[in-house]
Amino acid sequence: MGQVEARSAPGAQHAADERPSEPALIEAAHVTAGYDNRREHTRLIALRDVSLQVRRGEFLAIVGPSGCGKTTFINLIAGFVKPLEGSVRVRGEEVTGPGADRAMVFQDYALLPWRTVERNIRFAMENRRGHVPKAEQAERAARALRLVGLTGFEKSYPHELSGGMRQRVGIARALVTEPEILLMDEPFGAVDAMTREAMQAELEKIIAETRQTVVFITHSIDEAILLADRIVVISKRPGTIREVIDVDLPRPRFDEQSDVQRSPRFGEIRSHLWSLLADEALGAKQEGATR
Amino acid sequence: MTETIQSPARTDGQQIETIEVSKFARFKSVGITVVNLTIFFTIWELVARAEVINSLFFPRATDMFAALFNGFADGTIWPQLSHSLTNFLIGLAISAVIGIPVGLLMGASKVADLILSPYVWAMTSLPRVALIPLLILIMGFGNSMQLTIIVLSAVFPIMVNCMAGVKTVEPSLVRAGVVFGASRPQIYLKVILPYTLPFVISGVNQGIARGLVGMLIGELLGGGGNGLGFLLDRAGEQFDAPMLYATLILLAVMSVGLVQAMRWLEQRAAPWRDISRA
Ligand SMILES: Nc1ncnc2c1ncn2[C@@H]1O[C@H](COP(=O)(O)OP(=O)(O)OP(=O)(O)O)[C@@H](O)[C@H]1O
Ligand SMILES: [Mg+2]
Repeated sequence: MGQVEARSAPGAQHAADERPSEPALIEAAHVTAGYDNRREHTRLIALRDVSLQVRRGEFLAIVGPSGCGKTTFINLIAGFVKPLEGSVRVRGEEVTGPGADRAMVFQDYALLPWRTVERNIRFAMENRRGHVPKAEQAERAARALRLVGLTGFEKSYPHELSGGMRQRVGIARALVTEPEILLMDEPFGAVDAMTREAMQAELEKIIAETRQTVVFITHSIDEAILLADRIVVISKRPGTIREVIDVDLPRPRFDEQSDVQRSPRFGEIRSHLWSLLADEALGAKQEGATR
Repeated sequence: MTETIQSPARTDGQQIETIEVSKFARFKSVGITVVNLTIFFTIWELVARAEVINSLFFPRATDMFAALFNGFADGTIWPQLSHSLTNFLIGLAISAVIGIPVGLLMGASKVADLILSPYVWAMTSLPRVALIPLLILIMGFGNSMQLTIIVLSAVFPIMVNCMAGVKTVEPSLVRAGVVFGASRPQIYLKVILPYTLPFVISGVNQGIARGLVGMLIGELLGGGGNGLGFLLDRAGEQFDAPMLYATLILLAVMSVGLVQAMRWLEQRAAPWRDISRA
């Protein structure tokens, strides 16, 4: 299975020399996760022995073939899925459930269809946890909408919007609570190339401002390189960490002048990622053939 | 009913145009219905006048309307109609008050579902008529028996639909609720209940249809001597075909009216479902 960087499975010693002063914000240690099928008495292992640390303020992208457990990993951090083995910690504390410090952008939007765009965004501010004073809600919602470029659609219902617009509502809803950790599950999957790039640039700007920690799932190699500080490549199911790649490209990457996409380093990382993922796809095919 | 649409400044440059919607558009369907019914009753009248069918079974439309008018004028219809309508609405209200919470509970709690569902499904599929002898035995021929059969008819479809609504809530919506800080009660109030509302309404719709059957069974077989069922029964015994048909028309109007009222309610309660189609 090719070379695996030492970082993909940080031992105690390695974790110590990475950031001696500051402990990792998110730490997954030897996590195995899966889903039980009670009817057939089987257990599907989605992730196996995954160890990973996410530093405060880091932008971590996760790539890997479909069904390799990316959403499962993000759900572990969110607190929806409990690990079968190992542990997931945020700020050193074991994750037992969702918390106001972690907001999520869902792969399938998960907007409330009976609420207008504005009221969907307010939903994040009006509940018991992470409650924002009423007077402040409208202003914050308006700011979040401006950020994702949806001013003027406050009164629209989700079914009146395109897929990309719905996803932007989902992003605005996650941003409006100003969470410490932003979990994003293929947030730009349903957006056209032009809008996608505009939103990537916007996201980079937002993150630079808010200093949020982001865990970002994507199927696009370019997107991962453009946005991330580090990229985690997950192998096909059961998902294990294949490699962790440092993206040492200068920021901001969406600046008019900076032509990151044409830099040789970008090309290097890109072709390396390509070969890794092609391996995975090939492996999956061969395995299918021998079955 | 979008007469004019304001064009707000939209950031992504989407163009919103103001459109004219004809003021007569909404009268069009009413007009079609009027013409439709006129033709229907005219054909009825002509067929009856041709006496293809024995007028004992098939009176003229005009005779039917005359019976309807006279029935209201001499006070034979109104007490029975109001008896039926009152009974029905009370029965439906009781069914909703019992059926909606129990159905929601069954959807939300596995234990409640396991305990209650055998009875609910048995009662949902059991033909209502089978209960009449027992109910007469217990309650006699009075009003309470008629009311009971309405409730027993309407309450179970309402229950089953509410349960289905809660059970089909999209898991990712519940997850969104949890992620964005909703407590358990808030999840029920802000996610599960609104999601279930259309199911509740369609449950009540089915409850109306079943409840009407229950009402008629109770009045026809219960022998209480009142209600639209009693009118039907008596007109049949007296070979009063115009009155028989007049009562049937009343029943049809009553059920269509109720269903339309529910539709109106549905559009109020769940406008997100198909704004574009309305
Ligand atoms: N709720 C669930 N119950 C049972 N199995 C599940 C569930 N969710 C995911 N799985 C299984 O776990 C595996 C990993 O799923 P996951 O959603 O994490 O993949 P993914 O990497 O996000 O895929 P994609 O890129 O297609 O979104 C899949 O094989 C999937 O079938
Ligand atoms: Mg996924």
